[in-house]
Parts: sequence; C-alpha cells; structure tokens
Amino acid sequence: MQDTIIKKVLIANRGEIVCRILRSLRNMGISGVVVYHPIDADSPAVQMADETVEIDGDTPVAAYLSVENIISACQKTGADAVHPGFGFLAENAEFAKRLAEEEILFIGPSPESIELMGDKIKARSFCLSNGFPLAPAISGDEGEESFLDQARQIGVPLLIKAAAGGGGKGMHIVREIEDLEQAIGIARGEALRFFGNDAVYAERYVEQPRHIEVQVLGDNYGKVIHLGERECSIQRRFQKIIEETPAPGLSNELRENICATAVEIAEKTGYQNAGTVEFLLAPNDEFYFLEMNTRIQVEHPVTEMVTGIDIVEMQIRIAQGEAINFSQTDVCSKGHAIELRLYAEDSENDFLPATGTLLVYDMPGGEGVRVDNGFREGMTITSAFDPMLAKLIVYAQDRPKAIERAIKALDHTIVLGVSTNIDYLKRLLSHSAYQAGLVNTGFIPQYANDLASPSLSDKQINLLLAAAALSNRDFSDPAFKLPEIHASIGNWRN
Amino acid sequence: MRRQIDLHNNHFEVTVLEKSGFERFGKKLLQIEKNAPQFVDLAVNETGEGTIQFGKQSTSIKMAVKGETVFIHAFNRIFSLNIIDPIEHAASKVGGRSGLSRAPMPGTVVDINVVEGDQVKKGEPMMTIESMKMLTVIKAPRDGEVAQVHLESGQTFEKNRVLVTLAEEEEL
Repeated sequence: MQDTIIKKVLIANRGEIVCRILRSLRNMGISGVVVYHPIDADSPAVQMADETVEIDGDTPVAAYLSVENIISACQKTGADAVHPGFGFLAENAEFAKRLAEEEILFIGPSPESIELMGDKIKARSFCLSNGFPLAPAISGDEGEESFLDQARQIGVPLLIKAAAGGGGKGMHIVREIEDLEQAIGIARGEALRFFGNDAVYAERYVEQPRHIEVQVLGDNYGKVIHLGERECSIQRRFQKIIEETPAPGLSNELRENICATAVEIAEKTGYQNAGTVEFLLAPNDEFYFLEMNTRIQVEHPVTEMVTGIDIVEMQIRIAQGEAINFSQTDVCSKGHAIELRLYAEDSENDFLPATGTLLVYDMPGGEGVRVDNGFREGMTITSAFDPMLAKLIVYAQDRPKAIERAIKALDHTIVLGVSTNIDYLKRLLSHSAYQAGLVNTGFIPQYANDLASPSLSDKQINLLLAAAALSNRDFSDPAFKLPEIHASIGNWRN
Repeated sequence: MRRQIDLHNNHFEVTVLEKSGFERFGKKLLQIEKNAPQFVDLAVNETGEGTIQFGKQSTSIKMAVKGETVFIHAFNRIFSLNIIDPIEHAASKVGGRSGLSRAPMPGTVVDINVVEGDQVKKGEPMMTIESMKMLTVIKAPRDGEVAQVHLESGQTFEKNRVLVTLAEEEEL
C-alpha cells in the first residue's frame, strides 16, 4: 500500500460543492485550491479557497471541462490530489488516467470502475451477467416470432421502444397482452419514420416507480459498506429536486434488501471510494438496478445528517489509502433529513432555467438547517451553467417534523432578482400526497394542477401593484411628470 | 401618470393621480383600473424591507427593483411585476408585428443564417440558438429585409433579448 498523505487538494468544480469540499479539507488541515472561470470570480468558493487559479476556455463550461486546465493548475500550485465534485470531469475515466500519469491522486474510484459503471450499457450487462436485478427486457430484435415470444414471457405492462430512439418518440405502453402485436407494428412504423431503423425493443414497464438509491463506501482493501438509502423520486425534467432519507414507507426487510444488493454490486466491481447505486422500485416492492454514479452525489448531505459521517472526508481518507475503520453495524442512522434543491428556474413555465441578478439573497439558518450554497447577493446567474443555486438540508427527529422545518426554512429563503423554485418547493412539501409519503417519479405531472401557483385575492393584487407602482421612480416621483395629455387619462373625478 | 403593470400575465392599468390636492401632505392617491382611488404609502428601508399600505389594507414586504421589473416578497411568496410605459408598449407591439425576434429563453447563439440586408421569407430560418441542450431555430416572423442581427455566434443572451430585427414594413 502506498502511504500517500494528501496535503493540498485542487477542486475541479464550481458553486456550492466547492464550498462543501473546502469545509472538509479545512477540518482535516488540508489546503484547498480552487480553479475558477472569470465569470465565477466573485463566488464564495473563490473567497473561501486557500489558493486560486483562473482558468479559461471557449465557453465557461469548457474551462472547467478542460483536463489540461486542471493538470496545469495542479502543477502550478503543487496540489497532490484532485477532488472532481460532481458533473464536469467527475465521471471521466480518461481524466482519472491522465491524473495518474502525472502522479496526482484522483479522489474517486479507479478509472476501471468509472469505465465499467459509468457506462449505462456496460453496467447493465455487468449486472445481468452477475445476476443482479434488472427490469426484464428483450435482449435483441431477432425476428417477429422470437420477439413476440419473449415479450409474452416478460408480460404486461410492457414498454415498446425504438431501439435507435430517444426523447419519448416511438414509445408505446402495452397493458393488455392481446394489444402486443399491433403495438409492435405501430412502434416499428414510427421507429422507421423517426429514426430510419425499424428495430424495436421491449422492457417491463414499471408504473409509478420510485427512485431509491444507496450510498456506498469501499476502501482499497475490499471492504464495502453502505450508509443507507435515499428517496429521490420528486423529479422534474428528469432531475431530482427533493431528496430524503430514510425513504418513507419501506419495510425494514425491503430496505435491507436494497442496501445489501447495492453493497454486493459495489463489491463485485471492486469499487473503491464513495459511490451511489440507483434502483427503480416498483409498487409491488420489486426493485431493479438503474445505474451507478461513481462520484459524490448532489444529495449526499441528507445521508451525512442522519449518519453523522462526513462523506467527503471519507473519500479523501480512502483515496490516501486509509482503511474504513468502522463496520456496517457501527453505521446508525437517526432522525430524518430532507434536501431541497434551490434552482433559478421558472416553475410556471416548464421549469425553464431563469437568469438575472441576485438582488436579494437571504438564506435560512437555525437549528437543524444546513445550507450548502455557492452564491452571494449581487452575483449574476447566466445560462452558462446548471441553474442550481443552493441546497437547503433540514434535519429533525421524524419525517413530519422535518417537513415542517423545511417549509419554515423556505419561508426564510428570499431570492429576488431571479425566478426560483422556492414557492414551488413549499407547495410540494405541503401537498397531502407528499406528506403521506406517496411519492413516485411521476409525482410532479400527476399533481400538476394541485401544484400550480394559487391565485391571489384582489386585496393581495392591489397591494402588490401599489408597491410596484411606488417603487418605480419614474412613476411615483413628481419630478418625472408626464405631459398633461397622459396625466389626464386617469380622470377619476367624474 | 399611468402605467401598465403586468403580474402573472395579467395586465393592470395603474395611475398615480396628480394634482389631487393631497401632495402637500406627502400623500399619494393611486387608482387601479377603474376602481376608486385610495391613499397609498410605501415605507421600506435600504434593504428593501418595509410595509405597503393601500387604502385600509397593508402588508409587510421585501422588495428589489431592476430596470422595469419589481421583485416583491409578500404573503410568504415571491412575485415579479413588470412596469410598462404605455407609449413604449404601443411601440414595441407594432415592432413585434413588424419583425422583432426575441429569445424565448436564455441561451447561446449556435448559428446565424442571415446578414443585414438579406431578404427573408416568412418562416425562413434566421438563427439557431441552444438552450437547455435543445436547439431552436428562430424563423422570420414575416417576409422582409434583415435590419439588424443583434448577436454573434457563440454569444449568450437572456430571455426576451431581441435577436434579429426586420426592417419596418413599407406603407401600403
């Protein structure tokens, strides 16, 4: 074993996760280097860093995606390790290899693990050949008869998809087995029209699935443990916005079964460092492997809140060759934690990203409230990056109290100048189905009407209009009087 | 003086009444649509926190202003209101019909198909933009001559930014 002791870590990322990683580095007495594109020069991450290196690229995103930028920043500052955060280069096996060539430690799994588990198709066939649970699917399109036979074996509900497809086109759900042939015919026709290839495939359609994932940690000596599961079903645009742990309504048996499966998958791949195994959970309690994320997750804080384990610290310790010095039974989760992702987006308009300047940026605080934030008042939110602003993580002894605390925290979260999902998150948390723990990945479309912005009373409208009118100098200041002809339009004396 | 204020896609006509005789007491009268005017008072500190009073109603608020947009936190919710000068509004409406192509969402210019002076037919692609990893083609809203292309390839823009302007239509 190599006895690397990390002294200086370069963080190849931006925003809140950089601040989060810097906190762990500080606690461990390790120096933190932050790379930044000029667009992020005023960010808290840059201010918090021990050292900074400006990087550039054709676009701001390209600056952070450039392997050479990161390597030369490491050489310039003498950083002996890189933490990739999530996104950007976090699941890029070539990047991990390049760092190894330069004798810089990558805080994450081996390039081989990234290559195997980071690729959905490879990961899926790995799980299939090792007997891990996958949604039953037809392997190939080898003629109509064999296809029909296989489809009948899987049974309904069945999802027929164009093999070359994407974006929901050419997809059909078959709920009655006698509709199968016709649906395949239609799907082939559409597949040919949209994708120029009539090959289709079929898999078990899971109705109202939940997205459950398991945090795992593996060290360099073959030990793998899990830190429990996370419920991540509340999603919009295929992206999570609320995550929590423990997952509501799971029996202990099912929870243990899912977590044990995740550990087995990680063990089988020889996984080292922190990772997450994602599953689809069907209403009948069957669960299927979806994918593995070979990095720290956005939603890791909920696990930290209930276990008291600093996952970033564990990543660094594992990377420098330390063994995990506790066992599965030492991991005990207490209470309930919920994470709310604060996005600059327009909840009224299909959650499209919003831009603008953070004129007011008040984040909540207090007992049981953690804010992982990457911005400050006055900063401009552009369309250059993912529009996540911050994460609010609340902790309480049980789920109802955690929900209550989350709503209160959002009441104290005020962002003016950019549209955000603050009000939308409050409506989600207040919804009776959410409070009852009845979540699935279709929650947001299913309850779209309930979650729409409630209408305002006339009194409320009048107060808002009055405040707007008087806040506008052109409008309220007598020095800016318009000519008589316009002023006289409001002739109320009659 | 009159303005149109937009809230949640609804338009309200709001008038601060002049020469009402109350100015010397530091009071303003505000009329919303055709309703009876009410005394109005806004008291906020430098952080934008304070109270708005309209007639007998009042509420605590926090607010910030940028350009013509007013952001207000009130009733435990967040609102943005746009103040529109009726004269400018009328002008931009005509402009809209005659050929201002605005960005439907924030994004980046990927490709530009036209230069100033080009004659375009209605529906002809003028620009391709990328937002949210989706490509959107900006098409000519009518036949006409390209008066101005406001951005270069690779430039980013905010929602509602004017991308291409067609020349004014000639009088018939």
